[in-house]
Amino acid sequence: MADETKNMTPAQRKALRKKSWSFTWRSWAIQASWNYERQMNMGFLYGIAPTLNRLYSKPEDLEKKKAAYQRHMAFYNCTPQTSSFVLGLVTSMEEEYAKDPSSLDPDSINAVKSSLMGPLSGVGDSFFQGTIRILAFSLGINLAQHGSILGPILAMVISLIPSFAVTYWGGQFGYTAGKKYLKILTGGGLMNRVMYLVNIVGLMVIGAMIASMIGITTPIKVGTAFNLQKTLNSIFPQMIPLAFTFLMYWMLRKKVGTGWILLFCIGGGILLSVLGIFA
Amino acid sequence: MFMKALLIGIISIIAMLDSRLFGRSNLERPLIVSTLVGLVLGDVTKGLMVGASLELISMGLVNVGAAVATDMVLGSIIATAFAILSNTSAQAALTVAIPIAVFGQLLGIVVRMLMSSLSHMAERDIEKGKFKRVLSYHIVWGMVFYSLMYFIPTFIAIYFGTGVVSAIVKEIPDWLTNGLTLSSKILPAFGFALLMSTMLSKKTAVYLFLGFFITAYANISVTGVAIFAVLLALVVNEFLPKAGKGNGTAATADSTDDSDDDDDLEEL
Repeated sequence: MADETKNMTPAQRKALRKKSWSFTWRSWAIQASWNYERQMNMGFLYGIAPTLNRLYSKPEDLEKKKAAYQRHMAFYNCTPQTSSFVLGLVTSMEEEYAKDPSSLDPDSINAVKSSLMGPLSGVGDSFFQGTIRILAFSLGINLAQHGSILGPILAMVISLIPSFAVTYWGGQFGYTAGKKYLKILTGGGLMNRVMYLVNIVGLMVIGAMIASMIGITTPIKVGTAFNLQKTLNSIFPQMIPLAFTFLMYWMLRKKVGTGWILLFCIGGGILLSVLGIFA
Repeated sequence: MFMKALLIGIISIIAMLDSRLFGRSNLERPLIVSTLVGLVLGDVTKGLMVGASLELISMGLVNVGAAVATDMVLGSIIATAFAILSNTSAQAALTVAIPIAVFGQLLGIVVRMLMSSLSHMAERDIEKGKFKRVLSYHIVWGMVFYSLMYFIPTFIAIYFGTGVVSAIVKEIPDWLTNGLTLSSKILPAFGFALLMSTMLSKKTAVYLFLGFFITAYANISVTGVAIFAVLLALVVNEFLPKAGKGNGTAATADSTDDSDDDDDLEEL
């Protein structure tokens, strides 16, 4: 990456620095509209929006701009600090796609996001919420118990420095790496092959998230002898979350309006809970 | 009391904005917010002490994924204020603060559902070409509603006393709380379904099930599955028909490069 920046003209370097700042701020602000349904979807859109506005600024590109905005409204969830890398990478992909629409399939952009968000969240959460937090606050608590105001200040500084560094350099690294590899890939016509492989990773990650992040269970019991959830756990664990996901998928296939599905999620949730079927 | 309630309400907004605007950089932690509360109420030392003991209590609680963990952030702000205002210990103040944290949590569920409907409004506005408004749902309205989610319970608790909030919490029926909790679990299933609708085909569905069953049966984390997935993708690459002689070998080299990048980051 150091070589990359060395070969740049001052103007290019300035543009890259501006982009990196934007990646940093917009990755940090990714949770401002966190919602149950698609989590950080609008957050990611907010991050990529300056790029989309720049690429599709002409009035005749309006339909392309709408499609690009819709594309980034898909489910997304990642630790803000590590998400910056994804934002950088996806920015380079969007630039490539706008330059030459035949170079890559736009659906593959979401496949890249899906395959990266899982592992990067795992690493990001354990690093920032685990390691860094414990380190910063065990030092901070110690000082605070002796009545020193340095305690909270030190804890804040130790938390903020790695948080900022990973967000800033992660975004820049994602962008420059994307620029470099996408050129090689689109040049050799290998894009479809790589995207197929990325799709495999993305789908497996989504499968793992369905099994670990939904957690709907059933309280149905018959006497003390039969506990449905226990039986399910032994033959088909996480069957209920899978069934719910495919029910939603089926409704989307049948072109049921998203408003109706949303109503079903909230109203149905209350009803099923009152009836004692799911919890 | 109005001024104090207002100022502590503002501290609760700062704590909320840490996770909304600053990537959850730990400014919301009890040690920091309790010190701020101490500063506002003119007793920094007590704020530090209460903050240190609340931080110790909550050290193990980590907020990860879709589940809303016990809201220690809101709890510690109120607890510190009460510990200072009524001159009690941190632990005693925390028991008083728990109903308020519960109230905040319920508001949180409602706000996170409201955000889902904002997301649908955003989609409609994209079709109308109102791009500025689309972004404002995120950066303006998201921020406002999340701030209110903390400000309202904090202000009520400090201005009217905890009794009022406890009474409100008692009025909320269990079936509604449980029902909303179930709804908040069903909504991510919808999110995943939306994601699948752009990526899934008959041919690739097998990979989704593979990832699902690995985690369901073996309890392997998403990160673990992602590592298997990258390895599997490399194996599949070996079996895919080569595009052309030169390209085929380059494909192997490139995808290896990609996975190397992922691995480097995972070690970070």
